[in-house]
Amino acid sequence: MVRLQLDPFLNELTSMFQHTTEKGSVWVTLKHSTDKSLVQRNKMASAGKELEYKCLVRATDGKKNISTLVGAKDHQRFQASYATILKARMTSLKKREKKDKRKAPDAADKKQQVSKKRSTTTAKP
Amino acid sequence: MVYVITWDDFVEQSVKLFRSNPDKTRYVMKYRHSDGKLVLKVTDDKQCLKFKTDQAQDAKKMEKLNNIFFTLMARGPETDITEVTGKEQAAQPAKKGRGRKQ
Repeated sequence: MVRLQLDPFLNELTSMFQHTTEKGSVWVTLKHSTDKSLVQRNKMASAGKELEYKCLVRATDGKKNISTLVGAKDHQRFQASYATILKARMTSLKKREKKDKRKAPDAADKKQQVSKKRSTTTAKP
Repeated sequence: MVYVITWDDFVEQSVKLFRSNPDKTRYVMKYRHSDGKLVLKVTDDKQCLKFKTDQAQDAKKMEKLNNIFFTLMARGPETDITEVTGKEQAAQPAKKGRGRKQ
């Protein structure tokens, strides 16, 4: 598991998406964590110290593992960059067909034909 | 696997699950470009909620859920997330307000 800073993590995540275009998946996990072991946490709690919570973000493409910690200060910035990456990369999801049907039957027929072609191509084993 | 049908149910149940067990709950997202599928999972290792989709519109909804989870996890489970959802609602009428009165 490679622990990175925020910006290198985002760069690596982008390259993971690029590598898995043809096959493979990208997993991203979000978890609320203090990044300290249970023993340390208990010690800190009994000493009356406040624990600092962060958001642990992990990503993998099945082969490589990367992770980063996002604190309360950075989370807005990270969130914005992360959303941009996802929007740019998640292009293979289907567009809404039902709305088009309501608009006009001709346009809908054309789009249905196109989407049928797409669905037949993806159905190939 | 417990697949939730509606998006809103999924959001509500996953926030509830996180608030009840913030140390154990995790939010997982799996995206496969080759299949065009997105699967979301929220679990505290006792209960598991999943949501799968192939629709582009759900990716937009997922962004909002990401915002909610980032806020909850970075700041703390007690954070008021109406800020996150409220900001978007506040932004929309502002955009509509830009009229032709100029």
